[in-house]
Amino acid sequence: MLAADAGLSRSKTSARGPRWLWPSLAMPGALWLAVLFLLPFYVALAVAGGTVNPLFFSPEPVWNPLSWRSVYLGQVWSDLFGAHAYLGQTVLRTLAYVVIASAICLLIAYPVAYFVARQSRHKGMYLVALVAPFWVSYMMRMLAWQNLLQNGGLVNHILTATRLITEPVSWLSGNPVTVVLGLVYGYVPYLIIVLYAGLDRIDQALLEAARDLGLGRIRTFLHVTLPLSRQVIYAGALITALPMAGDFYTNTMLSGVPTTTMIGNVISNSLSTPGQSGDGAVLVLFLLLALLAPMVWYVRSSSRAGTAGELL
Amino acid sequence: MSRHPRDRSIPNLAAAPGLNRRDFFARTGTAALAVSAAGFLLDACGGGGQSASLTSGTPYPLARPNAPVTWPVTRSDVIASGLAPEKNATLQLYNWEEYIYTKVVDAFAARYDCKVEITTFGTMDEALAKINTGQVSFDVFWPTVDVIGQLVTGKFLRPLNHSYLGNIDQVWPQFQNPFYDQGWRYTVPYTVYTTGIAYRKDHVKVNPDQLANGWSMLWNPAFKGNAMILDDYREGISLGLLKNGITDLNTTSAAQLSKAKNSLIELTSMDKVQVSNSYTAIPDDQVWVQQSWSGAVIPVTSEMPKGQSVDVVGYWFPPDGRGPVNNDTIAILSSGSNPVLAHLFLNYMLEYGNAMENFAWLGYQPPQRQITPASLVKDGLIPPNLASCTVLPSYFDVGYRELELSPSANLAWNNAWQAFTAGT
Repeated sequence: MLAADAGLSRSKTSARGPRWLWPSLAMPGALWLAVLFLLPFYVALAVAGGTVNPLFFSPEPVWNPLSWRSVYLGQVWSDLFGAHAYLGQTVLRTLAYVVIASAICLLIAYPVAYFVARQSRHKGMYLVALVAPFWVSYMMRMLAWQNLLQNGGLVNHILTATRLITEPVSWLSGNPVTVVLGLVYGYVPYLIIVLYAGLDRIDQALLEAARDLGLGRIRTFLHVTLPLSRQVIYAGALITALPMAGDFYTNTMLSGVPTTTMIGNVISNSLSTPGQSGDGAVLVLFLLLALLAPMVWYVRSSSRAGTAGELL
Repeated sequence: MSRHPRDRSIPNLAAAPGLNRRDFFARTGTAALAVSAAGFLLDACGGGGQSASLTSGTPYPLARPNAPVTWPVTRSDVIASGLAPEKNATLQLYNWEEYIYTKVVDAFAARYDCKVEITTFGTMDEALAKINTGQVSFDVFWPTVDVIGQLVTGKFLRPLNHSYLGNIDQVWPQFQNPFYDQGWRYTVPYTVYTTGIAYRKDHVKVNPDQLANGWSMLWNPAFKGNAMILDDYREGISLGLLKNGITDLNTTSAAQLSKAKNSLIELTSMDKVQVSNSYTAIPDDQVWVQQSWSGAVIPVTSEMPKGQSVDVVGYWFPPDGRGPVNNDTIAILSSGSNPVLAHLFLNYMLEYGNAMENFAWLGYQPPQRQITPASLVKDGLIPPNLASCTVLPSYFDVGYRELELSPSANLAWNNAWQAFTAGT
């Protein structure tokens, strides 16, 4: 038995290549993670627990965790939950915008991704068309929207000309609808591509089997396609919702009114205010913690789905 | 968008007169903020031996018109008189974005047979951080009045040798011995400006001069969705103070700051006020009333859409000059390797012809003695309907200046501003 196991083990090793091969393949990813995530994360911690230059009030990170101070943490905590807290509404507003924008993104992206995935021809062309918005910088696209949405802009012209509205809508003056649609516009291409990648992998044979067993189009979709794409929906929603939660640029470009301020704007303001970069760093860490929760939930749910898949 | 020299100013280390950090937070009764303030105090101390001098004393005084400051000079840092300009040199300018006319700079390069390179910054904070690294070799810098103390204390500025700067007599007398730099040891003036309200006369039928308080012009539900204030905590809170009739724009009073904040919050609910430094909102008809710098209004003449006259734009600033007024400066950095050329450049910018050519492009007025409101309009530098953008020397006698704040006051100002911009 032992000899047989050893033989099996040897054959496995040779089939999978030398022992160092697989860890070494993970090295670029690990380096990427270390340089672009762990290091900035540590810097944020060092600023959050650090001091400021006594003359210029620029941040001075403290690298030794034993010397970190909790002053900024206390400040942000009081801004969030203290007697004179003013950030609670901003947090709730951000959450609402992100949830609504993600839902709209999903409603737009899923049919588009499904359509492309089901195409047998011209798939490449459709994918190129989906990636096309990325060819123009985000700032340029937002500036274009400013132009289109201004009081005398094309959007108001069309809406008034078609008598859908009688008075021009103030799209750019603190209109939450504009901010949410701006977020949708900015992030929907990412979601389409993620959903496409998942939907394209669904085995056509399963759909045919469902149809052979008597399910109609809608029930096939509801009972086969949708459950099979659940994980990719979660993944896509997370990939778009996470950056949305920290977004500040869309809001700055399309509103600029305090009633639509998102938490990203507060962070941006803190970081650009001398002496308050520590507050900004704490807010960054809080946001990270808040976003970690859905991420952990996703990882657990996908690992459960993976286990279930193996059992099948 | 941030091409104007005003930005979030840097706090200094001097204590607020009559109000220390603990007092301030005790008055506001905010225990949690007090915790933060204590931390801020520690920050200021730097945790080391500096603490005594940085908290109990003042490393440099707060410059005020009634408390002028003469900055110390180390003789060895002053260049000798009568030196020839550096040969084959590249003069390095460190300036705000779009804050100098390149044609004027090119003419300087041709006159003194040198090259000139302009590096720009977006905010004063960013500029100070870069200078503080000690890794830069810029010769000439454009500091705001409220950071001069920090720059001198950090030994980043080179004292001026007046023998190179004969054109100083062309500027208004008060800038030949300003309170923020007595004896103009480190700076020469660059521009002067007021902060008022730009408006579209085709929409706004109110005459602000007929209002009991012209600053309340923005607080009008008729302008809902069409009002904008500057994205600058000092200017924004100052507007709130002026709306309440408070003219101390360097106040350390928590009650006054609270009033200003509440007025701004009211402005949000009443007008949905936008917070931005946009230069195009008025010409594009995006907003009808906008808190604005005088120097930013003048260039709208070139921003108006085709076929639309600039006559529809107005600028209100109290005709008696009792409003926010300020100036910017030029200084020489000690890190630069061309101090003689740098002196010549400062003198060149003080020369009437060069200053006016720069003004024609820039829109921010130099404090030149020869300027009169009538001459500016007559020479076509300002359209007649924007004559109110002209800054008069008398404004600096009666106007209100936003100056350096102590760290505690600065923190309070910032907190008030952040509570407003967070959309509470």
